[in-house]
Amino acid sequence: MSRATRTALVRDDRTLYEAVAGTAVGLSGVAFVVGLTALLGLVGIDDPVAGVGLSVALGALLLALGASVVGFGMASRFGFVDAAPQPSAGIVAAVAFTAIWGAVGAAASGAAGVGTGGRLALGAVLGGTAFAATAFPREDVGSTAPAGALAVLCGLSLLTGLIAPGWERALDGYNATLFGDTVVPAVVLFASLVTGWSAAKAYGGFGARGRNVGAYVLIYLVVGSILAVLVGLVAFVAAKGLPGLFNGFSLGGSGLVSWPFLTSGAGLTAEVAGVFPALLGTIWLVAGAVLFAVPTGVGAAVFLSEYAEQGRFTGAVEVATNGLWSTPSIVFGLFGAAFLIPRFGNQKSLIAGMLTLGFMLLPLVLITSREAILAVPDEYRDASAALGVSKWQTVRSVVLPAAIPGVTTGVILGVGRIAGETAPILLTMGGGVLPAKSAAPDVLGSFRLSASPPFVSNPSLLEATSALPYQLYALITAGLSGNIQNPQEYAWGLALTLLLVVLAFYAVGIATRYYFRRKLHQ
Amino acid sequence: MSQTDAAEPVANRTDGQGVSTTAGETVEETRPEWTSYEAGGETKFAVDDLDVHYGDDHALKGVSMDIPERSVTALIGPSGCGKSTFLRCLNRMNDRIRAASVDGTVELDGEDVYQDGVDLVELRKRVGMVFQSPNPFPKSIRENVSYGPRKHGDIETGLLARLTGRAEPDREEALVERSLERAALWEEVSDRLDDNALGLSGGQQQRLCIARCLAVDPEVILMDEPASALDPIATSKIEDLIEDLAQDYTVVVVTHSMQQAARVSDQTAVFLTGGELVEYDDTEKIFENPESQRVEDYISGKFG
Repeated sequence: MSRATRTALVRDDRTLYEAVAGTAVGLSGVAFVVGLTALLGLVGIDDPVAGVGLSVALGALLLALGASVVGFGMASRFGFVDAAPQPSAGIVAAVAFTAIWGAVGAAASGAAGVGTGGRLALGAVLGGTAFAATAFPREDVGSTAPAGALAVLCGLSLLTGLIAPGWERALDGYNATLFGDTVVPAVVLFASLVTGWSAAKAYGGFGARGRNVGAYVLIYLVVGSILAVLVGLVAFVAAKGLPGLFNGFSLGGSGLVSWPFLTSGAGLTAEVAGVFPALLGTIWLVAGAVLFAVPTGVGAAVFLSEYAEQGRFTGAVEVATNGLWSTPSIVFGLFGAAFLIPRFGNQKSLIAGMLTLGFMLLPLVLITSREAILAVPDEYRDASAALGVSKWQTVRSVVLPAAIPGVTTGVILGVGRIAGETAPILLTMGGGVLPAKSAAPDVLGSFRLSASPPFVSNPSLLEATSALPYQLYALITAGLSGNIQNPQEYAWGLALTLLLVVLAFYAVGIATRYYFRRKLHQ
Repeated sequence: MSQTDAAEPVANRTDGQGVSTTAGETVEETRPEWTSYEAGGETKFAVDDLDVHYGDDHALKGVSMDIPERSVTALIGPSGCGKSTFLRCLNRMNDRIRAASVDGTVELDGEDVYQDGVDLVELRKRVGMVFQSPNPFPKSIRENVSYGPRKHGDIETGLLARLTGRAEPDREEALVERSLERAALWEEVSDRLDDNALGLSGGQQQRLCIARCLAVDPEVILMDEPASALDPIATSKIEDLIEDLAQDYTVVVVTHSMQQAARVSDQTAVFLTGGELVEYDDTEKIFENPESQRVEDYISGKFG
């Protein structure tokens, strides 16, 4: 092999090109983020930017990005830069661009009022062209020209106002209308994703390295948008709910902290309507379900993985538990209503709700505990057996401690699900729409001893009790009226409280898991 | 299998093996006198006509050997020759494999460990085991060492014991220190007994496993390739330890390394492919002047 044909390990003659391509990647990211914030409604799509509307500014940015992406491809094609493109952009990119351009063609002809046949024809023509433009030229042209052209098209339609903030279009055949303030951010998101990928490929000099960089940018943008949706959701609920949550909140005074929303009920005499009964109901409900499901679930998991012979029986139990976990919650609710309620005083009660949710939690605790126990290395069991330690002692002092982090993960996931359940509570636990503070369950304080069986009774467990998700549902169906001053604010405060309660349960679970992991692996 | 017909099958077995061939190749006869070696001292383990099947697989074929106490017995041979299987019969760890079936007798101080009604807890307290890869529990060094005695109720710790005044922290301390000293690990870990054992190096972990085994106060220590996962320095420490332990304990060690067997053991048993014991004698005799041609080939590296 002669030295001349070797590719240098270090390429140092592409700095300007790399800088421009890197800037294009960055600008695509900026366009993506702005599009996302606009889609979430955090900025208006016609807010002025540098003297023009945001929509027009984004159009210009997309136009520039599209043109530069095409430029990168050409610069590489005609040898102005040292890149390592492969013979073709590949079948995945070709099919993707075919679909994109086919859809663009169909949508554009539809907007122009062409019939179904014409739409199909134009879509097919554009899709076919995109396929040819992607698949047949060398990679540097194939992965930039269709992408750049798409961005140019999107940019032009925003610049010229073809799609503008005030734009709207009724979809024939559907009872729906598309509005500009949704379509403009969507177009920007989409086009910036495509230019980001394409510019990243150019930045990496195409070839294997370019594909690597392109995939990175694509994945980061998508992950970023998922995180943005999550954060946006929490921020939205928080923004709506904070006024209600802090209604009447004060520091100092008679108590150290006065937080009426969390500490008072919604009775007629309450100064500030609060969610105390439902909050306490939810906490007791989750505590009761966990108390029921964790010992039984972990016990069953120990039996299935340590004692039972692996075979048909354990297989059948596994199928049954998986089926139970996917059973809709309303079915559990019906079971609770038909089976538990007649056995607990024939009325909706806290304990019926606890057990119903416990039944729902049980399969997940069982599945995850079983996985966690099976994941404990057999070396620990061998070592313990070789020391003459009995099986149960081994399970108790070696296997279960090593499985605790996994079990905790299962409980966290399960609690996240059951804490927000509405349907089973609706059927088994009930409670008022706007319960007064006196309706709050006082479980610890109402244990009564008696001389006749069952010797211990707890009337509080047998009373209908409200819980946060149920109260929210009941408020919405009751039409947000009643004796409270600001029902909207109250309901959003309630929703935020529910979110915080679930997050608090998560935090407790994650802290537990972290503690035990640390203990196992210092 | 009863004792009375033990002599007959030995003769039959050797006859049978002279005729039958495994996988078409001619296998040299295993003569009974090569394996009927009598070591000096008291016999700790007397194994007679031991057969082990894993399902259809005949893993160990009629092995008989006596293991003398307070010495190091090495079991060597190629992979799959049944030496680990043999070792695991001595403390009945093979019971943990469902498909395994064992015939023959294994006598520990004259008592058959495979007879009905044997207390596995007692057996394994008397016959400890150290495994191929170090397997300390994910607990502190102290808890690892005192694990066996605590679970056997020999040492009481824990909240209830403390509340009722039955806790014996001094005795636990002394036991931990003694066991770690004996395993030549005390000086390296005495200042961090509460650290997690998984933070130790591989060699230290293996010595911790030996200390954990010693804490139960066994009479026999079985070691299944105890140094195969360790670097040369850690290996030499383990080898020194094995020689040292043989003053007080009966040590049976399975190893792949013939140098290791030659260095540490007093007598060596050679198992060859097919699960048969081919020769058992003084280590020196095995490595310098073996009776069997197959053993000589294996030792000199021509086979195996």
